[in-house]
Amino acid sequence: MDRKELEQKILELVAVAYKKDIADLSLSTSFKNDLQGASVQMVALVAEIENETDASITLQDAAACQTIEDLVNAVEAEL
Amino acid sequence: MSILDQIYAKAKENPQKVAFPEAANEKMMQAAYEAGRDGYIVPILVGNAERLKALCAERGYDPAAFTFVDMDDEAYKSKVVAAYVAREDTLLKEKALRRRIQDPLYYAMAMQKVGEASVTFAGIDNTTGDVLLAGQMMIGLQPGISTVSSIGLCDIPGFQGSEGSLLAIGDSAVCTNPTPEQLADIGISACETVKSLLDWEPRCAFVCYSTLGSGQGELIDKVTEAVKIAQEKRPDLLIDGEFQFDAAISPQVAAKKVKRESKVAGRANVIIWPDLNVGNVGVKLIQQFGHADAYGPMLQGFNAVVCDCSRGAPVSEIKGNIIISAVRAAGMNR
Repeated sequence: MDRKELEQKILELVAVAYKKDIADLSLSTSFKNDLQGASVQMVALVAEIENETDASITLQDAAACQTIEDLVNAVEAEL
Repeated sequence: MSILDQIYAKAKENPQKVAFPEAANEKMMQAAYEAGRDGYIVPILVGNAERLKALCAERGYDPAAFTFVDMDDEAYKSKVVAAYVAREDTLLKEKALRRRIQDPLYYAMAMQKVGEASVTFAGIDNTTGDVLLAGQMMIGLQPGISTVSSIGLCDIPGFQGSEGSLLAIGDSAVCTNPTPEQLADIGISACETVKSLLDWEPRCAFVCYSTLGSGQGELIDKVTEAVKIAQEKRPDLLIDGEFQFDAAISPQVAAKKVKRESKVAGRANVIIWPDLNVGNVGVKLIQQFGHADAYGPMLQGFNAVVCDCSRGAPVSEIKGNIIISAVRAAGMNR
């Protein structure tokens, strides 16, 4: 999976986990300010990332991500 | 008979299977052994069975008191994995699950999810954060509940409340600054916890510095909003507020301050704090000035009982929390 594909995949997974329209999301979308999700949504997102990629990212690392781009970087580092 | 004696007696009537993913830890193994030996639970030690058996012999425990689950037993692991991924209410698919359950904490919770255990008990080697996150991923939250939280059970000498000297309080440990929705869920979960553990009919009061509009401000607005949400979500539960603490627990104060019908005011047996600042200070006041014994924190909001114990806890306290968890699990399964 190249970087572009990974970015698209993570955007799709964030849209599903946070029940958002993917058109409203971008790499600069902030988890805290824009998505305002509960931790349970981040848990679901991490589980889906593990299911759909071979990355095993810790929940703590995912929770530390400010933006979707940060999350893409964290997943890429694990691939 | 003290409340703890009553809970212990209930545990013996219906011993639950409790999975211990940190069984190599000396205090954890001793607490699991004593709780199993005395007939309160059926302890399942999860890990490297050979090493656990050796530690068991070294420490002088009868291995017959334990069931050992060897994480390298491929046949058993495949059975758990197959049952887990076949469920509709789980998050992980097989490949990701197999990666996760290399960690004993996740292995134990996978077992619990598929009914091989009723409780996962951890917290000595894993942090509270580890246990909470693993619980959310592997066990999941109760339908309609948005947050994990906790309650404690206080036994306060001299207090004559609606349940004698006992009062359940929450959240004093987990959810820092809950939104109105989360606060509502803490109250709902607390009602379920006391029902499963103590067979009480919960009367749950949301407290702050105002009684039914006697004060104004955003701190109060959050609580009144939470009460409204909780009442709408669960009209079957007795949930009321906003009340000051004294109006919640004292019939005399309630008679003066609460000028409408309430089945909770003055007789609350469950108190919901507005945030963790109040909750933490509140439980310390009860302990220091009320000389109360406080049991917990008991984690709640999960689909099944997940328990996190304090790393500094003595064996007697760990054993007590194991038994409380087992009784809650039996209550949830009723």
